[in-house]
Amino acid sequence: MRPRTKRRVVNSVRYFFTILTLVVFLFPAYWITITAFKPASEWNEWPPHFWPYHPTLSNFFGGTSVSSIEGILPFLRNSLVIATIVSVVTAVIALLAAYSIARFKTGGMGLAGWIISMRMLPPVTIVIPLYVIYAKVNLLNTWTGLILIYLVPAIALGVWILITFINQIPKELDEAAKIDGASNLQIFTRVILPLSLSGVAAVMVLTFIQTWSEFLLATILTSNSASQTLPVYLGRFITGYNIAWGALSAAGLITMLPVIVFGIIFQRYLISGLTFGAVKY
Amino acid sequence: MSKANRKIAILFILPVIIFYLIMAIYPFASMIYESFTNLNLTIANSGQFIGLSNYFEIFQDPLALSSIDFSAMVIYIGVPIEILLGLVFAYLIRGLKGEKVFRTLFLIPMMIPGIVFGIAAQMIFNYLFGAANYFLSFFGVQPVAWLGQASTAQFVIIFLDVLQWTPFVFLIIYAGLLSVPQDLTDAAKVDGANGWQTFLHVEFPTLRPLLYVALIIRVIDALKIFGKIYMTTWGGPGTATSSWSFYIYKVGVSYGWDIGYASALAVILLIVSTILVNILIRFLNLGEQLGISKES
Amino acid sequence: MGKYRALVLVVSMIAVMAVAALAVTTISVVVSPDNGPSIQYLAQQFMQQNPDIKVNVTIISWETLYPRLLADLSAKTGIYDAFSMDVMTTGAMQSGCLDLTQYFKDHPDVIPAGYDMNDLLPLAYKLSTWNGDLIGLPYYNNTMLFYYRKDLFNNPTYQQQFYQMFGRPLRVPTTWAEAVDVARFFTQSYNPKSPTRYGIALMFPTTHTMFYMFPLFFGPYRTSTDGIREFGPVDFNYGTYFTSDGKPAFANKYGLMALEDMKALMPYAPDPLGSDYGQTIEYFAQGMTAMCPQWTNPYLQFASSPALQPADQKIGIAPMPGVSVAGNWALAVNKYISPDKQAAAVKFILFCTTKEAGLQVLEKFAIAPVRESILDNPEAQAAIPWVSALPSIYQTEAFRPRIPQEPQLEGITDVTFSKMLSGALPMTIDTLQSLADQWTKVLAGGQ
Repeated sequence: MRPRTKRRVVNSVRYFFTILTLVVFLFPAYWITITAFKPASEWNEWPPHFWPYHPTLSNFFGGTSVSSIEGILPFLRNSLVIATIVSVVTAVIALLAAYSIARFKTGGMGLAGWIISMRMLPPVTIVIPLYVIYAKVNLLNTWTGLILIYLVPAIALGVWILITFINQIPKELDEAAKIDGASNLQIFTRVILPLSLSGVAAVMVLTFIQTWSEFLLATILTSNSASQTLPVYLGRFITGYNIAWGALSAAGLITMLPVIVFGIIFQRYLISGLTFGAVKY
Repeated sequence: MSKANRKIAILFILPVIIFYLIMAIYPFASMIYESFTNLNLTIANSGQFIGLSNYFEIFQDPLALSSIDFSAMVIYIGVPIEILLGLVFAYLIRGLKGEKVFRTLFLIPMMIPGIVFGIAAQMIFNYLFGAANYFLSFFGVQPVAWLGQASTAQFVIIFLDVLQWTPFVFLIIYAGLLSVPQDLTDAAKVDGANGWQTFLHVEFPTLRPLLYVALIIRVIDALKIFGKIYMTTWGGPGTATSSWSFYIYKVGVSYGWDIGYASALAVILLIVSTILVNILIRFLNLGEQLGISKES
Repeated sequence: MGKYRALVLVVSMIAVMAVAALAVTTISVVVSPDNGPSIQYLAQQFMQQNPDIKVNVTIISWETLYPRLLADLSAKTGIYDAFSMDVMTTGAMQSGCLDLTQYFKDHPDVIPAGYDMNDLLPLAYKLSTWNGDLIGLPYYNNTMLFYYRKDLFNNPTYQQQFYQMFGRPLRVPTTWAEAVDVARFFTQSYNPKSPTRYGIALMFPTTHTMFYMFPLFFGPYRTSTDGIREFGPVDFNYGTYFTSDGKPAFANKYGLMALEDMKALMPYAPDPLGSDYGQTIEYFAQGMTAMCPQWTNPYLQFASSPALQPADQKIGIAPMPGVSVAGNWALAVNKYISPDKQAAAVKFILFCTTKEAGLQVLEKFAIAPVRESILDNPEAQAAIPWVSALPSIYQTEAFRPRIPQEPQLEGITDVTFSKMLSGALPMTIDTLQSLADQWTKVLAGGQ
């Protein structure tokens, strides 16, 4: 076989497997999406319908509280508000701490390790004492309550990522600014802050995605549309006597779409966040 | 450290420390304390100190032991598959036309909330109407009761975990490959190395630390698997898919807030996680990476 | 002057609005998905009639609702003002429920004119009490029915085929043993001529569903003459699972026979261990099975399914071959909330349980009535075919335990039964005995 022909064959095989893999990996998302537009008669069909034969919006609008997702707006609002606030607050607190640790070695390895370990704790271990405490201080079913607990892993991750970013800023810049008479605070605002913005973006994107998806804590610490997030809204009728698959899928679509779009737009920040700064991209 | 430096160093770190003292220390302290009591929300006046009884109980509780089993299974079956597939896919698309599009599409599953995967699985793995059994019917396979048998239900949960997290491993490896210096691979080619040899001697050494990172992060996160189980099998049939985290939820929340015992289970999980975190920190050579170890 | 007049107008409008806002009491009501749409519907009507009360209805799945309520009541947080309560959970929840007997004594005027307490079915009423105190108002008299394909059972061809195969006429089974033959007959892999793929849609998942499916099969043994002689009559708080003096009654040949009856049906059911409500209802609604034990309200889904038209000729309703199991719901009010909210919440649950409300939610949402007068009402009987069958079914129902330890018992039991049915644990009395030992330990206050 001539090398060119061989390469063409190899490439065709690679395309085939690439597309096959993508089909498998994206199939659940695809299924949710098409079911969201299927009328009730097509939810359970044999053979299954691989696209909606009679597309409809009835799963989104109209119907009762369990046959469409007309009441989803407060939950969407809660998710947006909570994820946004957590992202912003995380960025601020984590940047301050990361600056302190990276430049002044505050607390040394002990403190840094302690902070970072907060990212790893299984949420189920903390949820029970948290419920009892929240009940005492009236934080159940509030945005504040969820935001506070979501900040725990988010800040840990944020500090970790931002330390690596700040370490890459040459210390000479700090010193040059100092010679020009800048105070520590000014060095922070004029040198560190502008140069670590991409790290801040990575922290915010990652925090947003992880906060958005959280289910266990939200389902226990919230009670109604005043603070329940989208995953809780989604979880509410999975075992009801009447599973409206179309509406459930529509809710699933609303739950995953914003975060997918957001993640794709900012994907270049994702990787440094996900690898705790171990990989620069 | 100068006085000015110390002032700003402490001022900037203070918010984190105060925050964690409030949000983490107190809940954890109370959890550890409760693990020594018989606190149960359904029983009036419970909460007496009972020493280590809860901890001894774990070793006699077949449900606890089997939930640890399933968590281990997710780790020793799911995680290696994720790493292998991530590696394969990274090489598969490298240099292909449309690489960037494939990469972007492949990242999508990672961003989908686990609970949405659960809903999709309920539909796809339905016994009579599901797409999975439809595909199998082309090969003459009889319908499979996916969620009604221990082995297939375990397969479904692990399969979902693989779907969701292979992209994460892929991303790490893919970015790692980009960081392999081009002249090294070129030099290997000049020396007459084939693709496999290049991988083994040039690329793999660069990737190895990243594979460790992926491995440990996946192991730690696999211990948290919850939403997918909640939405599909509820830990069943029997205890086949009841993970450690899910069992804690069942004991501590779903079946009557047996807080004392659930706390003991959680403390053990916490200890295991902490050990893993420490291994991770060592592997990452975190002190050096962060520039705060003693040597640097 | 005009400017001032406008200002005065605006200020007074704001003042009026502020006063109106202050005067409105908002109550947060949480309900399970079965009750959700009907309660939301009633809340709309209630708010029209009572502009000073705003009712916020939240629907939460059973799995989450119950632990959330339990936590809310135990921690005395008062997050939910009123809620739907599965009567099985009364023991665990009663300490946080407003004692309505006392409340009505103190506030006799809250009961609207024409609200007839004596019209409430005695059983439904009794299930809403604890130690003689009324802690909820009965709302939904749910029970399990045996749905079957009337057209297939009445079809002469199938009747003849069945007779040839089994030597007796095809009829709706009255015992589980009989049901096995019928289920086999309607399963294609055993009888290629079967019009349906499977005989019966069963749900034995590892959730609380398992906990009430078992009494359907165990009930007939427990309440047989032998069962009563050995274990005494069924105690109202301990239920069918227990002897009359509160000991587990299933660790014996009867319990084992019940599980064997369950297992005998499994080959003729689509994925019983992996199916819950959603799946079984769908299987029957799509015409995939000939029989299906289900609660009362799925009738509406069956009746609207294209595969089951015309509904009156295709959907048959019969008493359960064994016995039915009670799935009653009550509406209760949180003890730990302000008197204003309590008053509003009591008013709301009274509104939801009137005769008029009961008739409406029966016709619109297939909520089984809690009032004698509705069961007797020809209009109600014409609206939903099971109404006339209910009184006799209520006579022989099995009951789940209502004691406070119920949740923990349920947790270990679901898992054990699922394992036995799937073959992971041996089907022996020993297995049941070790489950009973765990129960005894829970009841004694240990883990």
